[in-house]
Amino acid sequence: MSDIHVAPEMWKPAARIAGAAEQIAAPSLTYWQDVRQRLWRNRPAMLGLGFIIVLVIAAIFGPMVSRHNYYDQDLKLSNIPPVFQVYEVTDESGATTRFFFNSGNLNLYEVTDDGRIAGLIRGKKDLLKKQTVFAFGDVEVTLNAATQTLTRGGGVVLAAGGWQWNMSNLFGTDQLGRDVLARQLYGARISLTVALVATLVNFFIGVFYGGIAGYLGGRVDTLMMRVVEVISTIPLTLYVILIMVVFNSGFFSVIIAIGSVYWVDMARIVRGQILTLKQQDYVAAARTMGASTGRILTRHLLPNSIGPILVALTMLIPSAIFIESFMSFIGLGVTPPEASWGTLTSEAVETLRAYPYQMFFPAAAISLTMFAFNFLGDGLRDALDPRLRT
Amino acid sequence: MTAYVLQRLALMLVTLFAIITLTFFLMHAVPGGPFVSDKMMAPEIQAAINAKYHLDDPIWVQYLNYLRGIATFDLGPSFKYAGMSVNEIIAQGLPTTLKVGVLALICVVSLGVPLGIVAALNRNRWPDTLVMVIATIGVAVPSYVIATVALYFFALRLGWVPTFGLDDWRGYFLPVFALSGFWISFIARLARSSLLETLQMDYMTTAKAKGLKPGQILFKHGLRNSLIPVVTVLGPVVANLITGSFVIEQIFALPGIGRHFVLSITNRDYTAIMGITIFYAAVLMVMIFIVDMLYLVLDPRIKYREAR
Repeated sequence: MSDIHVAPEMWKPAARIAGAAEQIAAPSLTYWQDVRQRLWRNRPAMLGLGFIIVLVIAAIFGPMVSRHNYYDQDLKLSNIPPVFQVYEVTDESGATTRFFFNSGNLNLYEVTDDGRIAGLIRGKKDLLKKQTVFAFGDVEVTLNAATQTLTRGGGVVLAAGGWQWNMSNLFGTDQLGRDVLARQLYGARISLTVALVATLVNFFIGVFYGGIAGYLGGRVDTLMMRVVEVISTIPLTLYVILIMVVFNSGFFSVIIAIGSVYWVDMARIVRGQILTLKQQDYVAAARTMGASTGRILTRHLLPNSIGPILVALTMLIPSAIFIESFMSFIGLGVTPPEASWGTLTSEAVETLRAYPYQMFFPAAAISLTMFAFNFLGDGLRDALDPRLRT
Repeated sequence: MTAYVLQRLALMLVTLFAIITLTFFLMHAVPGGPFVSDKMMAPEIQAAINAKYHLDDPIWVQYLNYLRGIATFDLGPSFKYAGMSVNEIIAQGLPTTLKVGVLALICVVSLGVPLGIVAALNRNRWPDTLVMVIATIGVAVPSYVIATVALYFFALRLGWVPTFGLDDWRGYFLPVFALSGFWISFIARLARSSLLETLQMDYMTTAKAKGLKPGQILFKHGLRNSLIPVVTVLGPVVANLITGSFVIEQIFALPGIGRHFVLSITNRDYTAIMGITIFYAAVLMVMIFIVDMLYLVLDPRIKYREAR
């Protein structure tokens, strides 16, 4: 035992104030107030929620305000990076041309002062010397393809100026010259539509299917759960593929596939909940008072299992988004020119050697969305867990 | 016990039968026959081909024939690769898929579980934080993103591993890593939370009070109980490794079943799609069956009669 020094005055009994003992220190909270407070205090969960809200707003309004659309091609402006180093050349008349050099396709593009792309600069190609000569007034700039350097007439190496963000295409363009930002926003729409469909299906089919099976029990339950078992034996991806083959690939098929079988996990969870809840006294009370099965289910049982339903939903939504992007990645999802985060990633893989940065935006979009839903789900689970209540 | 196992086996057959029927009629619901999209064919040739593949029979005859084929492990001929049967396609791709898949499964168990244990035993200290950060990244970032980013850095930039194929032993690293990444993270998280819950049980205190050695307490009382949830997800893990192989085999250009499957879909090779789907379903069901049996052995509290 270590020596703990206790001051003698600390041994005195605390002063009792009559009446204060009865005073309630903190306001009593209902279950949902408590949940809301705890969720609000969970920073990763709130960040996740914030990201999802921003994403929804961007997906709805982004394509409306964007100057580009997701399908317009401009092959002259293909594979433009989002950031580039600007070079400047001044000719004898004093006119300055700002341009940047795209090392992937060995092109020069003229840039305006505010960072917009004015167009492709044509040069004379000399295939023997592997160089291209560009004329700016009387100044000639030679691009050496092998060393990737720009030299001015007298052999002076042109020094790169500062970095400039691409103001015409904030995220650059892809290999067909389409604006990546516009395509990302369209991809966000696709992903969020999938999320919406998954939510609706889980709520309207999964919850009720599981609820009915759990509440009725007996043979009905056995039969209904056998169907769920058969469906969940095959991975969802295989169903999606089968349905794609029947309906042809496309976004519509993804929706049909997710809509038709994506509710089985939810049905299982809800059934488990209902099985324990239906033994509760309030259910017996409701039945005694003559409430119908439907009323007991919708008014008593389902509202009481909303916690696990919500947690399951925040886990099921990202996996639905993931399945769509996965299918699109292997070429079975949305059809070109439609863009989804999966197709954007797989297009970036094609050009990975020359333009590795094209991978960044679609990969970041899907990963951040996954993070956001995961954090929100974890936070919601912690907030809804009564054992962690303070 | 035997009765339960038999009942499970019967159930498995019924499920497989339902899947075969579903797949068959889905594939035959596709508008147009498998050869309609081919270049203009003389009607006689069309009729000859239909006769050769028994496509002119009524659908229920075709269905019965197909069932008879499956009963003898014959999945029929491929419609697109002349002279090749679906069995041959599967046999060709199986070794590759199996090698990568089994290695990935080994990685999942041998990395995921220890990571989870380390995290749980060091709760709220740096090993826990580190494992949880890695596991959160692994769960959130899709496998195809992990695969391409790894491909870019380790194969293209650093040149440590080949960009495609499995000719070199180093070629296994990236596909196995990309395929198992999600499940290593998932299992680590699951093992951590499950062990944390077990550590708080009364029997752990009892074991300590009895004066057992810490290792004994952890392995005999802690781990055995906390690993049950981990065993239950092994069935879904196999399912996920199978579907994950579609994209991994495409990125790393591996000639496995997943790649054949995706190819047969884009080629609209109906018998191949049907055959490979049924093959996958059968593999999965066997795996789920094994996991269920394992579950019974591991957890004597579960009475198999009431298990379902």
